Amino acid sequence: MMRRPLAAIAGAALLLVPGIAHAHLLNTGLGPVYDGISHLFLSVEDLLPVAAMALLAGLNGPVAGRRALFALPAAWLAGGFAGYLVAVAILPTGITALSLLVLGILTAADRRIRPAIVTALAAALGLLHGWLNGAAIATAGREAMELIGIAGAILVVAALVSALVVSLRLSWARIAVRVAGSWIAATGLLLLGWTLSGRL
Amino acid sequence: MRRYLRTLLRAAGLALASAIAGAACAHEMRPGYLELREAEPATYALLWKRPTGGEVEIQIAPVIPDGCSFATRDRQQLTPGAVLVRGTLSCSGGLAGKTLRIDGLDITVTDVLVRIQHADGRLENHLLRPATPSVTLGAATSGLERARSYLQLGVQHILLGVDHLLFVLGLLLIVSDRWMLVKTITAFTLAHSITLAIATLGYASAPLLPLNAAIALSILFLGPEIVRAWRGETSFTIRHPWVVAFAFGLLHGFGFASGLTAMGLPRAEIPLALLLFNVGVELGQIAFVVLVILLERAFRTLEIHWPRLIEALPGYTVGSLGAYWTIQRTALLF
Amino acid sequence: MKSDIARHALHPRLVWLTAAFLALPAWAHEQQGQAAGFVSGLQHPLSGLDHVLAMVAVGLWGAQLGAPAIWLLPVTFPLVMACGGFLGLVGVPLPGVEIAIAASAMLLGAMVAAQLRPPLWLAAVAVAFFAVFHGHAHGTELPSGQSGLLYSVGFVAATGCLHATGIAIGLIHRWPQGRIALRAAGAAVAAAGVVFLWGALA
Repeated sequence: MMRRPLAAIAGAALLLVPGIAHAHLLNTGLGPVYDGISHLFLSVEDLLPVAAMALLAGLNGPVAGRRALFALPAAWLAGGFAGYLVAVAILPTGITALSLLVLGILTAADRRIRPAIVTALAAALGLLHGWLNGAAIATAGREAMELIGIAGAILVVAALVSALVVSLRLSWARIAVRVAGSWIAATGLLLLGWTLSGRL
Repeated sequence: MRRYLRTLLRAAGLALASAIAGAACAHEMRPGYLELREAEPATYALLWKRPTGGEVEIQIAPVIPDGCSFATRDRQQLTPGAVLVRGTLSCSGGLAGKTLRIDGLDITVTDVLVRIQHADGRLENHLLRPATPSVTLGAATSGLERARSYLQLGVQHILLGVDHLLFVLGLLLIVSDRWMLVKTITAFTLAHSITLAIATLGYASAPLLPLNAAIALSILFLGPEIVRAWRGETSFTIRHPWVVAFAFGLLHGFGFASGLTAMGLPRAEIPLALLLFNVGVELGQIAFVVLVILLERAFRTLEIHWPRLIEALPGYTVGSLGAYWTIQRTALLF
Repeated sequence: MKSDIARHALHPRLVWLTAAFLALPAWAHEQQGQAAGFVSGLQHPLSGLDHVLAMVAVGLWGAQLGAPAIWLLPVTFPLVMACGGFLGLVGVPLPGVEIAIAASAMLLGAMVAAQLRPPLWLAAVAVAFFAVFHGHAHGTELPSGQSGLLYSVGFVAATGCLHATGIAIGLIHRWPQGRIALRAAGAAVAAAGVVFLWGALA
């Protein structure tokens, strides 16, 4: 029993230490753009926050959805190229858990958020995760063009998901979105626990 | 519908521009083919087909497994579209457990279909690709696994065939309602399936370079029509896009066939390969059409108002890329 | 050899496009270790009958109470459960997990059987109490080498689906005979809870 608190403290320290970006970089043989597209769909740690962001933006109406739709891939691309040039994942490993937790709770709460704030959240998410992607691509010695594929796929996913949410009219459908948000937040909280316990 | 689809340009144009940037210039996918037929125990008749004559020379060659050597010198033969190498290979202890590698494959975007016919009638098929340029031989592949590799080849072919996708995008930008969309896509599908079958079964063929130039011309043809539709003008193409889709579809079918005929499959295998390759192409095409339409609807739901410039971008992308490829591919003819 | 062929056949280049018909096996293959995490996360909440019954009972009760409980519940339960899991992961011990879960199955079943309508906050606290223990017991058992993220996704999804099952069954509350059947189901869960409690204490 004595060892667990110690492990927790070590884990807490770990959360703040830059992690090795373990991205799923694979070779599809179809060129870097397709590699990037497949990367997004195979990396739950990127896909899930993107989906959460799109749900949140969609719940806040077409204006928020529209702005987030452009802010998210643009920031992802900017963060990605910055991360690619620096080639160091200086961000803590807990980033994914925190993104999921924050976006999930906001979605589950379904309180009206101003479009400017939604846009800022999208930009922050894009910059952070894009940076991790870019650094991982650079570390693996791969082409920066993959970022174009990733950002393009994000644009498509975000557009489809947030448009779907905007078009929901039935009250139970909105609740289903909130439930999805709650699941995402719960996943984030558990992931935070895993990160803190250092058992990932 | 037409107005909406015009708006769709925004997204599709963006996605395509990036895809094009990545694919540099619409590679046609021409896979290589390696066949080893066990005539006597531990002796294999080798047939190696390396595609040639495209825009980019594909430099690949199989590496003979350890313990194998040429019993007879290999004879080389130039055919339209491919270099053929025949020979006899003797392998002590058979091929099982040996590793076959295709040299140079990892730096191309092409695939090699490896087919081994053992003396006991077992068939072994492998699809080697840049990410996995080698394979350990031994087990027979089931019909299902072979079927899947043909399906995969078809999907891949359309994914890398940016010129085909661009033509479909051009059609989408022209059609004005849902019923016309269904008619047009069906006509295109029907037409290219017909010529794909004719070419693969060997009844007709089209020389690769002029064919590619003609396909580029079909894309260029759509450019002005898109602009016309956008301005609210009308023309034969805009009134009956399915006729144009059918006519040019015949041409594109020969293009798809280059993905299969370059391999020179054994006759018995052709019906299966043809069917599944075509299904793969259609799946890729339907996925593209559905994605474009969904995106267009999503943008409408999010009430995105595009600047005029961006709104016109898809049409101009189709037209200018069509023109570029036409010039480039025509130049290759001389 | 087999796996070699399978790898060729299921190469990821197809994944994103053929999502509708091929994606799952292909993806599972590509990310084998990860997918295993998802599957074990999915299985874990289903492995203990006491958990399953208690979670279905939560759904039954929510359906019986009607709005706003019926939708408040699936939104808040996963979060509270994750709090329990979080406590377990960072090493905060929680005594008597098995006893608490058996007791909650018994209590929740009894609530449904008696058709009790406590104030919403009281119902929420009762359910939250159970949620914390449930998360603590099951959220933390990640087999080594598997992805914690996918384990968590599977775990949360399985729990949510059990609720949904409970709520769906609870919809029979609309009909008079359904109301009686629902109370009988509650009584059955309560009885099972007594048996589990006996087992946990013995």
